[in-house]
Amino acid sequence: MKPSPAMLAIVTDAFGGRGGIAQYNRDFLGALAESRIMSSIIVLPRHAPDPPEPPKPIAQMPARPGRVAYSVAALRCALARPVDLVFCGHIYMAPLAALIARLKAAKLVMQTHGIEAWPRPTRLQRAALESADLVLCVSRYTRAAVLSWAAIAPERVLVVPNTFKESFMPAEGRTTRAALGIENKRVLLTVARMDSQQQYKGQDRVISAIPYVVAHGHNVEYAVVGEGDDRPRLESLAHKVGVSDRVRFFGATELRLLTALYSMADLFVMPSKGEGFGIAFLEAMVSGTPALGLNIAGTRDALADGELGTIVSESELPATIVRLLDKPKPDPVALAAAARARFGREKFAAGVRNAMNRLIEA
Amino acid sequence: MASDDGQFVVVFNGEIYNYPELRAELETDGARFRTTSDTEALLHLYARHGAEMVHRLRGMFAFAIWDERQRRLFLARDPYGIKPLYIANDGWTFRFASQVKALLAGGHVSRDPEPAGIVGFHLFGSVPEPFTLYREIRSLPAGHTQWIDATGPREPKPFSNLAEVLARGAANPVPKAELCERLRAGVLDSVRAHLLADVEVGIFLSAGIDSGALLGLMRDAGQREIRAITLAFAEFQGTSEDEAPLAARVCEHYGARHIVRAVSEMEFFNDLPAILEAMDQPSIDGVNSWFVSKAAKEAGLKVAISGLGGDELLGGYPSFSDLPRWRRWFGPLAAVPGLGLFARKLLGRIVPGLARARPKVLGVLEYSGTWAGAYLLRRGLFMPSELHEVIDAEIVREGLRRLKPLQRINATLVPDPSSDGARVCVLESAHYMRNQLLRDADWVGMAHSLEIRVPLVDFTLLHALAPLIPTLGEGAGKAALANAPSKPLPNNIVSRAKTGFNVPTGNWMNAAIGRGSHQTSRTPEAKGLVSRRWSLAVLNGTASANVEPEVRAS
Repeated sequence: MKPSPAMLAIVTDAFGGRGGIAQYNRDFLGALAESRIMSSIIVLPRHAPDPPEPPKPIAQMPARPGRVAYSVAALRCALARPVDLVFCGHIYMAPLAALIARLKAAKLVMQTHGIEAWPRPTRLQRAALESADLVLCVSRYTRAAVLSWAAIAPERVLVVPNTFKESFMPAEGRTTRAALGIENKRVLLTVARMDSQQQYKGQDRVISAIPYVVAHGHNVEYAVVGEGDDRPRLESLAHKVGVSDRVRFFGATELRLLTALYSMADLFVMPSKGEGFGIAFLEAMVSGTPALGLNIAGTRDALADGELGTIVSESELPATIVRLLDKPKPDPVALAAAARARFGREKFAAGVRNAMNRLIEA
Repeated sequence: MASDDGQFVVVFNGEIYNYPELRAELETDGARFRTTSDTEALLHLYARHGAEMVHRLRGMFAFAIWDERQRRLFLARDPYGIKPLYIANDGWTFRFASQVKALLAGGHVSRDPEPAGIVGFHLFGSVPEPFTLYREIRSLPAGHTQWIDATGPREPKPFSNLAEVLARGAANPVPKAELCERLRAGVLDSVRAHLLADVEVGIFLSAGIDSGALLGLMRDAGQREIRAITLAFAEFQGTSEDEAPLAARVCEHYGARHIVRAVSEMEFFNDLPAILEAMDQPSIDGVNSWFVSKAAKEAGLKVAISGLGGDELLGGYPSFSDLPRWRRWFGPLAAVPGLGLFARKLLGRIVPGLARARPKVLGVLEYSGTWAGAYLLRRGLFMPSELHEVIDAEIVREGLRRLKPLQRINATLVPDPSSDGARVCVLESAHYMRNQLLRDADWVGMAHSLEIRVPLVDFTLLHALAPLIPTLGEGAGKAALANAPSKPLPNNIVSRAKTGFNVPTGNWMNAAIGRGSHQTSRTPEAKGLVSRRWSLAVLNGTASANVEPEVRAS
């Protein structure tokens, strides 16, 4: 039997990091650690603002924010020990990861997420990705985008969908509603960044739909969770369409409030045009709340082509919100179970295990 | 069809010619057959040998076997790629079918374009596998198998290699004296195998050597009633280009029933929409095969033998002399870096008319340095440097990067078949024949519910002839084939066949895309230029649109 391989993970952030990519890397590396496929996993992050607590056999090196310092540290780290596999968590770091893989005659695994991998990257990044033995994508859309610019065997490019934190589950929402003073209202919810550079998440599309929803007899409240510099624009939009009293901005929330909002809402709606996958959809559905998104990019995957949630075109959005609110909220436990069965951590761990096993066998 | 215990399920497109032997062997081994179909043999073979089963099969095949217990799928395609097999994988769902159109019809496969397929079509006149015009759809390459499980498809694996068979043959050469006997035995064996059928097997008969010899060998193999189909064109009636009278003599010689089917330009125009509709991937050819298949269907035939592959196997194309000659003459010059490019630019500047009339001449110094380059020069529709004139520059750049045409062609010559004849045999078989002739034969046949069988495209035959191919002199292969039937082809047929025949379809195509057929001369270059315009019309869907007013007017 071959000895278990050793992995070096080249990542922006993982343990002790914040945000979606750090979460994904923790999920991925955690699943890999659990699978016991690797004898060792060394993680080298650019950033780690919070204290890192990686599970065994993962060891995380100190963060190196500077590009040059990071590259030097990564090369030194790689040359000092056996490396059979290089995991690269971001396309920007692909050239460095490919160089290390080449120096160590190691296999290269590239991870792609969303918009960072959609447009054609630089020549160096493209060449690095094309040299990968395995490319993991979070959705079919991201995979198709990668294959549109990369000349690589399509069989090497696999989809392993995102998963979600265990903290979310269905709950009785009465207390939360009482605390927020919205007992008699139907609640729409979006959880997303508000980035003035990107503006693709679609809170503006929901705000614009509110007058139509109200006109169709629904006394709605729109709960907007997330922080970012696009908030003033959204606030003034709400003012302009005359629904300021119905839109409530929560900013960044504590996990406890977030889970309460997810389970209390009547409908999670995120008409985003740029989701790599859309983990927030999963978080809503495992909290028992129906989810609505656009028939665009990774959203289709998170909502399982309409099997788990509802996907529509942009023009159908207002009428679909009305149609979904016309019915009482469906059984939260059944929805949560269906979402868990499809995208739960076990499914994710199996996806990671199978993909890595295929690579190691080959 | 499912196995007795339900563990294996097979879908199969093709024909296994060694089915009787396989069945006898499997039954001795304890297999119980419920049907008389070769499909069932695949199930038993898979249960016993797994993926290795492909080495036991003689025939044309594309099949998929689902293993219910192991939850995985096995795909395989015959060594020459006679039967098509297309796959589509979006990362969640794996789909496969015999046609690109079938995959698109489901509505779940992306139509995003594949630049390599578009560029490849313009370079070769057919879309080179594994690419199609669509990024998400690929062909399982000929002679490959593929596994698919819950994690997704694995990379296709080759199980056969034309170059390797020829290289091995070259290492064990056969004395020239044995040529005729070996060839006779090999081809007769292949014809006999290809006659396995429970319906009548007919033949497409031209006035050439390949189909004539096959007809004679069908007799030798013991078939008594034979119907042979020949196309006749009004334009050629009474001229030396008319194949029908010569084919009639061959029929008489072997006592076959002759069916001569007249085809007119009018019928071509009428059928053109149906032809383009049936064409699965764009092609600059297939028109002749369309009409001969149509005639076979009208005659009530379900199976017909075709001489396709004879030119590839036995050195029948000009490429067998051209390629080695170009390599000798221009190869050393072409090896000078930059000279080819310089020559092309210079010639293009000082003789601009040359670029229009004989565009490929400009590329001689650029491409004849390698086998792949020389082959591209011989078979190319447009040369890479001309692509930007007909397609978007971005598609050209990406397409060439993804297709890597020269590397792809060179890769088929590994291991080196060790003789010029064998090299060209591999090049013609693995590219022109596979991507153009066999693919066209498949869609025209399927459009007429006709199974076209090609005894000269047979891996067992290639094994048998591989030791002979390096020593074949010019014309020796065809001469030996003409003498293969116990009653050889008549001499006057053989000598006439050497100069070749024309078909008027090139002129028809030219007319269909709005150029007067009368001004066009019949030199080979002119034919190439028609193909160029035709290819663009096929791809843009304008070929049939242009026809309609003319049909109405007449």
